Amino acid sequence: MEISQAETAEEAARGLARRSGGMLGRMAKRFDLYLMLLLPIAWYLLFHYGPLYGLQIAFKDFNPGKGIGGSEWVGFDHFQRFFESYYFERLLWNTLSINLFSLLIAFPVPIILALIVNELRSKSFSKWLQNITFIPHFMSVVVIVGILSVFLSPNTGPVNKLIEAFGGEPIRFMESAGWFKTIFISSNIWQNMGWQSIIYIAALSGVNPQLYEAAKMDGASRLRRIWHVSLPGIVPVIVILLILDIGHFMDVGFEKILLMQNNLNLESSDVISTFVYTTGILNGEYSYTAAIGLFNSLINLTLLLLVNRFARRTAETSLW
Amino acid sequence: MLKRWQNYAIGTVVASTLVLSGCSSDSGSNDEAGASASAPSSAANAVKPSGFPIVEQPIKLKFFTRIAPTNGPFKDMPVFQEYEKMSNVQVEFTEAPTDGFQEKKNLLFASNELPDALYRSQLTQLEAIRYGAAGQLIPLEGLIEQYAPNLTALMEQYPEIRSGITTPEGHIYAIPGIVTLDSARTDKKWINQAWLKKLNLKMPETTDELYDVLVAFRDQDPNGNGQKDELPLTARTPVAGQGLPIVNMMSGSFGLDLQMGYNINIADDKVEIWMGNERNKEMLMYLNKLYQEKLLDPEMFSQKEADYLAKQASGNTGMFFDQTNNVFLEIQDQYTGMSPVKGPHGDQLQSQGAPIARDFGAFAITSVNKYPEVTMRWIDYFYSDEGSTLLRFGREGENYELRDGIPYYTDAFMETGNQPKITPYAGGGAPHLISEKVASLINPPQVQEAQDKLTPYMPEVRYAAPMFDEETAQKVNILRNDLDKYYEEQSTKFIAGALSFDKWDEFQATLKKLKIDELQQIYQEAYDKMAK
Repeated sequence: MEISQAETAEEAARGLARRSGGMLGRMAKRFDLYLMLLLPIAWYLLFHYGPLYGLQIAFKDFNPGKGIGGSEWVGFDHFQRFFESYYFERLLWNTLSINLFSLLIAFPVPIILALIVNELRSKSFSKWLQNITFIPHFMSVVVIVGILSVFLSPNTGPVNKLIEAFGGEPIRFMESAGWFKTIFISSNIWQNMGWQSIIYIAALSGVNPQLYEAAKMDGASRLRRIWHVSLPGIVPVIVILLILDIGHFMDVGFEKILLMQNNLNLESSDVISTFVYTTGILNGEYSYTAAIGLFNSLINLTLLLLVNRFARRTAETSLW
Repeated sequence: MLKRWQNYAIGTVVASTLVLSGCSSDSGSNDEAGASASAPSSAANAVKPSGFPIVEQPIKLKFFTRIAPTNGPFKDMPVFQEYEKMSNVQVEFTEAPTDGFQEKKNLLFASNELPDALYRSQLTQLEAIRYGAAGQLIPLEGLIEQYAPNLTALMEQYPEIRSGITTPEGHIYAIPGIVTLDSARTDKKWINQAWLKKLNLKMPETTDELYDVLVAFRDQDPNGNGQKDELPLTARTPVAGQGLPIVNMMSGSFGLDLQMGYNINIADDKVEIWMGNERNKEMLMYLNKLYQEKLLDPEMFSQKEADYLAKQASGNTGMFFDQTNNVFLEIQDQYTGMSPVKGPHGDQLQSQGAPIARDFGAFAITSVNKYPEVTMRWIDYFYSDEGSTLLRFGREGENYELRDGIPYYTDAFMETGNQPKITPYAGGGAPHLISEKVASLINPPQVQEAQDKLTPYMPEVRYAAPMFDEETAQKVNILRNDLDKYYEEQSTKFIAGALSFDKWDEFQATLKKLKIDELQQIYQEAYDKMAK
């Protein structure tokens, strides 16, 4: 039964192939592969395109009792409320600046780390270095924030003890708007540089060793070799990762910020995603925050397209 | 290799962009199944008008509830085991921890995946009105009249309960936890009398004297260990949207009352939201002085509830605020309750305090409930002394004994340390009646004395938070979201010295910009309606 079915399918496929000969034919011939593709397509449709239907609540006054379709249209009211909100500028600035500073400061660190690991002569030391920088990646955000508050505590934290030992006044790091971004970004670097450097290290190992030898023969110093051989070798990877990072530009580490937030650092820790959570989920203003979320995503998409185009023009590498 | 990498990268970018845009809609995704407004109960198994069991054939109900860290599983609580046998109603609880409860509750409504009822649900007034108007919660006033004799009797005895939970349209969407015991509606001001005695200080009566006492606590080593490790004053950590506890505790000394469940003074029928008032500035400056001189707990704005409770029990704290003495029972003699101190203008008021319908929105029935009458009879039992005793004390003999008709936990049971595990009242907000009859644990003589210190300074009338119609409630919500957030953040900064008082004018101007006047007008109108 099954055999005969398969045979007929094959015959039919051959028939199709003969008739159209084009894409349909190829698809019919390799129908098993396309069947496998169905699964991810279904996943995208269900979980990524399906929910897009719900986006309309950004333009409606969503009432859970009436459902998404039954709620009333209000046009751009929610967007207007957000743009006119007292917190609009602060939210936008914090979201943008945290990301911008992250990009400027945190993005190059794993590259440098990868270059160092690549240059190390002692294999065991470079393995050790990689492991040490790698481990924090596996800690949960809650633990990280816990560690931060213990280390930075004004009464008992080692950092403040050190400051006091040098005759300084203890600083309330976790409760200060001025320190928030520094702590957030630098702890991010500490946590993620090892993990992020893996891709660069892999790319570096793909650089042709003959290039290094040739450079050495020409009398290029170590720094020169890094500058003229290693770096150009991984530029495409750097550009791709940069574009990927831009893709997440507006969605900062939401959980971590929420955990670190308090009234005293809100000035610089209030970002769009935490605002959406507190207003939308906790206060039940679904439509208003859907509008904010949509606005956030639109900025993100625009940025992504811009950077991609820029990268294609200048570095001749791009995502598409 | 790079090429392949690129392909992979494209996939990731596409995916992440989609996730990003998808995210914004997730919160509201909803199947369109509209809620049916009325649910017929099965005629064959009719609800009995009175007496137990409530129904002849056992039925099952699904409740959504909040579980506090101190509670054990609800299905193991003696109250629900016994009551199931009594009533023939089997309740299956879905438990959500206090942390994150608000989120889970809202998602239930947003996704329309409703339980039969919400138990201990902390519904806000806006939520009750919003979900009631949407048809997800059913109006209860008819059911209460017919099937809730205990609740009805309480509402007749205390008319403010009814006015506090009825919408302008005349609907009741949620039943409150009712507290007729005065001392369960205030936080006492506990001061370390052992330290006062040791340092030869008298009980502070004014804000200046309080300041001096706290300085002495800080400097004169009352715990006698030779180190300056005493903590003069602490208070609960603020919860966003609920004001600053330290402010609520001290505001009465500066002539700032807390009427209508908000930062409101009422004088000559005029409602004033006092956040921009000069008196508030005075209070914040006072608290700032305490903070700068390390008299006020520096961890107050970031500590966890558990840290706060540990400070109470440590005996190393000069002054703090709490409803009972249960947390520091083992060192209870060290502390005593004090009266509010007199402020610079002679004000001496206990402004903090809850209305008799203390826990608004403790219980609600949803539109998917097939047995609303049964559910109403089920919950009504807990508004009697008998039902409340079962809820709070469990089984007679095993958990409690009667002394002069008043239930007390047995000593043997208290020693197990399981008391908060067996009752849903521990952790607050359970829908039931708290009267003097069931308060042997929370209202011992020490707490009664502390309450007596506060009673003379309570405002003559305490107006409950008003019920608005849906449209107004929505407006109030929008205004208060912005205003409360701003007020709490700036007050915290004023107190901690992160914001100089030179900026006070700017603070006042921003309050105006956030439409404090409009909000005041809405409360004024609500007050006018209430006063009539």
